Amino acid sequence: MEVKITEKDNVMTAQLIGRLDTAVSQQVATEMQPVIDQADKTIVLDCKELAYISSSGLRIFLTVRKAAASKGGKVIVRDINNEIRQVFMMTGFLNLFEIQES
Amino acid sequence: MAPKKVLDSVTRLAARQGLLVMVIAIFTLEATALIQYFYSQKILSEEANRRAQGQLEATELQITGVMDQVETAVRNSLWSVQQELSRPDSLAAITARLVSTNPVISGSTVALTDKNLAPYSFSTADGTVQTSSLATEAYDYKNQEWFLKPLELQGGYWSEPYFDEGGGNMLMTTYSLPVTDKKGRVAAVFTADVSLDWLTNLVGNVKVYPTAFSMLVSRTGRIMVCPAETLVMKRTIQEIAATMDDSASFNALNRSMLSGESGSTTFRYQGKMNYMFFDGVDRTGWAMSVVVPEEEIYGAIQRLGRLVALLQLVGIVLLILLLYHVIKSHRDLRMVSENKSRIEGELHVARGIQMSMIPKIFPPYPERGDVDMFAAVVPAKEVGGDLYDFYTREEKLFFCIGDVSGKGVPASLVMAVTRSLFRTVSAHEKSPQRIVTTINDSMSEMNDANMFVTFFCGVLDLRNGHLRYCNAGHNAPVLVMPDGNRELPVEANLPLGVVPGMSFSEQETDLTTGTGLFLYTDGLTEAENPAHALFGEERMLAALSGKLGSHQQIDAMTQAVQGFVGDAPQSDDLTMLYIRFMNNQISEETERHLILHNDIQQIPQLAEFVEAVADVAHLDVGLTMSLNLALEEAVSNVIMYAYPKGSDGLVDIEAIIRKGELEFIISDNGTPFDPTAAPEADITLDVEDRPVGGLGIFLVKNIMDVVKYTRSDDGKNILSMIKKLA
Repeated sequence: MEVKITEKDNVMTAQLIGRLDTAVSQQVATEMQPVIDQADKTIVLDCKELAYISSSGLRIFLTVRKAAASKGGKVIVRDINNEIRQVFMMTGFLNLFEIQES
Repeated sequence: MAPKKVLDSVTRLAARQGLLVMVIAIFTLEATALIQYFYSQKILSEEANRRAQGQLEATELQITGVMDQVETAVRNSLWSVQQELSRPDSLAAITARLVSTNPVISGSTVALTDKNLAPYSFSTADGTVQTSSLATEAYDYKNQEWFLKPLELQGGYWSEPYFDEGGGNMLMTTYSLPVTDKKGRVAAVFTADVSLDWLTNLVGNVKVYPTAFSMLVSRTGRIMVCPAETLVMKRTIQEIAATMDDSASFNALNRSMLSGESGSTTFRYQGKMNYMFFDGVDRTGWAMSVVVPEEEIYGAIQRLGRLVALLQLVGIVLLILLLYHVIKSHRDLRMVSENKSRIEGELHVARGIQMSMIPKIFPPYPERGDVDMFAAVVPAKEVGGDLYDFYTREEKLFFCIGDVSGKGVPASLVMAVTRSLFRTVSAHEKSPQRIVTTINDSMSEMNDANMFVTFFCGVLDLRNGHLRYCNAGHNAPVLVMPDGNRELPVEANLPLGVVPGMSFSEQETDLTTGTGLFLYTDGLTEAENPAHALFGEERMLAALSGKLGSHQQIDAMTQAVQGFVGDAPQSDDLTMLYIRFMNNQISEETERHLILHNDIQQIPQLAEFVEAVADVAHLDVGLTMSLNLALEEAVSNVIMYAYPKGSDGLVDIEAIIRKGELEFIISDNGTPFDPTAAPEADITLDVEDRPVGGLGIFLVKNIMDVVKYTRSDDGKNILSMIKKLA
């Protein structure tokens, strides 16, 4: 699992690559801390190369979302695959996030 | 050693033996013929000698008989002559009587020694006897041989033959006997003239052989009787000898002849060998001889010898021809048999290579419950061009069957090429249509020999029974189902290798569980019985049954065709491939186990485990990921909360694959905890109100159909999760 964070034109982009399962969630949460800290900006979670997500991953997504909500930022989830979309649907996340296709 | 050299040495050996046989045969023939020839010649020579000597002796006896007659007649008259010596006038009466009473004696005289008196009586042509006198001046009888010799010898004397020119031109001889008077003095010579005309006939008739001739010579060598009348009394044998080719040996012959001996000799006259047999007439000192040309004696044997030699020559020529033919055909035969055994050996190897290319281990996938297949090739004596092949890749069964036109090594080579192309092309191509099209393009390009292959290629998805297939001119396979058989509908298309760039059509169908696909080559339907009837499709369909497993089905078909064919020789390969689709036939439970430590870093192992189980159960990617998520949530729950922090504990995960459902049982020895008892997460809440946790068990419950917690009596948390499968 790899996380690449870039900032451009006041937009924070976190590129998530690989499987976001329980085993790596702690590490990913740490790596995502800078994004959470700057949740007043627009945050893009690039899921183009995210193969899998477990509840611990959803927890990180939700944490980012909450931070943005409290700081007046915005979260865009981009390019999720069908399987993850299923999970988003099951968990009601489709209603919480703005989903975009690139 | 190269076959040619072997042949050469074999041929040389055969030629040597043949030559030896020839030499022995010729030697035996020649020796036999020569021995026979010389032996026959000896017998003939002895026979000729015997016959000649016999004739000569008989002739001598006759001559002697005449001589005796004359001598006796003269002696009988001798007394009268002695009495009348004193009365010479009466002497003529005695000689006249002698002549008239002895027809052999043609004339007679008594010539006195002291007087000139010699009355002579002679028979005339008309049979009368006349008398004259020899005491003429012109004749001077006292100087004649017939007068002098008896006086000199004081006994009887036969004169040299002579021609009586006066008395009738006859060959004559005269017997003279001295006559003594009463005082014992020689007073006269008493003679009897004998005509020798009869001798000519007598001796001339001594014909031992048709071309033989006889001669009579006087003691001085004068020829008396001879076939050449011009020589008679004019030549001597010595004169004749001088004209001979080998006068020296002829002279020796004359000497021995004229000395009264009997015997035989040979002489060469005018280039031809002659045998001369001779015998003396003792009384007169004459010598008789019979001359027989060698040709006459040995003519028959020589003619026979020439015939035998000719026959032998013909025989030897025939023998040589026969020998040559035998050696040649022997060599040809050797060559043919050497070539034949070499080709047979190579064909045997080719057959071995060919057979090693097709899968032969059945069942090929004993661990798979989704396919049941069996195949059989009943090879013809000759190497054929049938092929089949199959393998699995990505849960798909790739298979093909084909029949190369023609037989022998070319067909087997094309078969090998086709099989290799199938493997190569299908390794990265899932569409039978594209597999067949690509193989066809490759084969058409290099098809200089104009050989083609009927080919059927199929790809069966073992997860769901979906069959995609493409036919290239092969017999339609048969779908075997519990309720009956029918041909798989196929587009005929053209065989492989005919038209490059040809586009083949692909077809598809779905096989239901238990459906069999029977593929075959025309060696099956065209198998002939001894009456040349074909096995045919009807018999084939009758032998197919949906109730049989693949192995029994192939055995049943083999028996059916063998029962039909009987002893008839098999002319073509007979290939059968039977594939039964058996998905969803997982009657027995399949179980998988995984034991993890309570370490969250072991979660990836769980993911692998779930994917392996999903693979066995043939689950799609979406369902696999959902199950993975459910399992991860349940298991990570145990890992993180069941055991006190820092203590080691285990989590046992068991997967049970049943027909239509999948059960996971997660058990641990940790503190009692019922995850199902947790409150339902409210997914309708706003962002601000939603708790970040509690989604895990929510996902488990959502994904799985049944989630049940039990605390076992031996202190285990047992969470059972069941997912129903469509």
